[in-house]
Amino acid sequence: MISWPVARAAAREKLRSPGIRVVGACFVAAAALGGRAGAVSETFGGFGIAFLLVLTLALGAGLLSDELDSGHAQLVLLRPITRAAWLGGRLVGAGIALAALTAGAWAAAAVASLGSGHALSLSALAILPLAVLWGFAWLSVLAALGVILPSWTNAGALILGAIAWATLRGTLPGVLGHPEWGAAAAELSKYLGPQDPFAPAEGRGALGPALYDLCWVFFAWLVAVLLFNRRELARRRA
Amino acid sequence: MTGAPAALEATGLRKIYRGRGGGRVVAVDGLTFAVRPGEVVGLLGPNGAGKTTAMQLALRLLEPDAGEVRLFGRDPELLEVRRRIGYAPDAPLFPRRLTGLQILALHAELLGFRRAAARDRAERFAEQAGFAEPARRPAGTYSRGQAQRLGLALALIGDPDLLLLDEPTAGLDPAGVAAMRELLVSLRGRGAAVLLNSHLLSEVERVCDRVLFIKEGRLLRTHDVRAGGTRVEVRLANAAQVSARLVEEIPGGVLDGDRLRVPVASEEAVPALVRRMVEAGAEVLEVRLGGAELEQLYLQIVEGRA
Repeated sequence: MISWPVARAAAREKLRSPGIRVVGACFVAAAALGGRAGAVSETFGGFGIAFLLVLTLALGAGLLSDELDSGHAQLVLLRPITRAAWLGGRLVGAGIALAALTAGAWAAAAVASLGSGHALSLSALAILPLAVLWGFAWLSVLAALGVILPSWTNAGALILGAIAWATLRGTLPGVLGHPEWGAAAAELSKYLGPQDPFAPAEGRGALGPALYDLCWVFFAWLVAVLLFNRRELARRRA
Repeated sequence: MTGAPAALEATGLRKIYRGRGGGRVVAVDGLTFAVRPGEVVGLLGPNGAGKTTAMQLALRLLEPDAGEVRLFGRDPELLEVRRRIGYAPDAPLFPRRLTGLQILALHAELLGFRRAAARDRAERFAEQAGFAEPARRPAGTYSRGQAQRLGLALALIGDPDLLLLDEPTAGLDPAGVAAMRELLVSLRGRGAAVLLNSHLLSEVERVCDRVLFIKEGRLLRTHDVRAGGTRVEVRLANAAQVSARLVEEIPGGVLDGDRLRVPVASEEAVPALVRRMVEAGAEVLEVRLGGAELEQLYLQIVEGRA
């Protein structure tokens, strides 16, 4: 299911990208600022979560199409490796880069927190794997979209989809004269994409959302593989 | 027929590209050919003849609309079959931020080599391909020729039994072209099968055993390059003065302007032939193996010129 040589190469490639390094540096800086206020457990000091989202989008954008459009994926897939393993390798490689940068941000927040006299709680330790899981679940969605969308449009489609859904959710019940549908739409929203898994770290819930996100990763990978197995590998002709 | 199956056997291949506006282009139309172990086969045809598509169909990078491909008598999608093939595409692109060595090591690992062995192999093949120094830089900094060399090294890193090369000399300097020629000869020597797509007719004539002329996706003719031996073309400074004597001294020689074309049994016969010509008073400016015959055939078969 995972080609580790492909995963290592993908992680190396992502971590050398100047854009990702800039976002990663911002994430670390934001986390350190949040940590000084002793807010490690609050998703890296509150607004650090925004950088985690941007980092996830940057890592997932073009995750597959970079390789498919250049033609290198075709060379790799002529080796004795299945398409599923290649796809798993690319996804895990991006996940390794995500984990490394998130760990860096977490460490910056933790050091800043300890330096300003705050103690590290258990929830502060739990936030790291939960944040990586949340980002990884979104990465798997981007990978599935990347099978059918060219270049960086997988990230664009995800952002547009989120905006469209938020707009519909907020306006449609009122427009249709059924304001009560708003609550149902809000409930449905929880299941459209990975859930917020930070509840256990913040002491306000069980592990359900984290398990949901784990399942989400698997199903997104499965959908990506099914779609990928249906397409021709040769570079698209202009 | 008995013995080992053909390294590549394509039967009745057909591929149609369908445009978004409903347009259709028949890229390959009923193509049937085979490449046997120890044989170098050239694909010749104008741009858009379907040569690259034929290669991609052979590797199952494209799905044929009709026809079948067998590699070593088996399905090309089988992982153990893929272990035996190498492919160098035209104008390859690589991950911009990985070095050539890292890309080579990745492919070696995918072929089953352990990490340390893969790194050693990457170093060795980068050196063999003549780009040991650039291989330490990110691939995003490569020139067309360097990318081409990396593509070749990748195609060779698994010691393939079947090699498909799509315009491998495009972008290579003369030393690279010469190295490529030696490589093809050595591959044939160890029994590998090679399918070569190139526009360099003189190179094709020198290294290929057979040539397939393709136009509009159809196989027009197969030409056995070795059947008539090799041909030497000699350019002379004083052709007019020595023409009568040369025709008398060199049996089979045909004078065409300042060039004398002579059929020879093999390359080894060339030095003696040149010596005889010099003894006959010829002032030799240039000696070329092959060249004109395939060009004439190409123009005749593909372009329809008499």
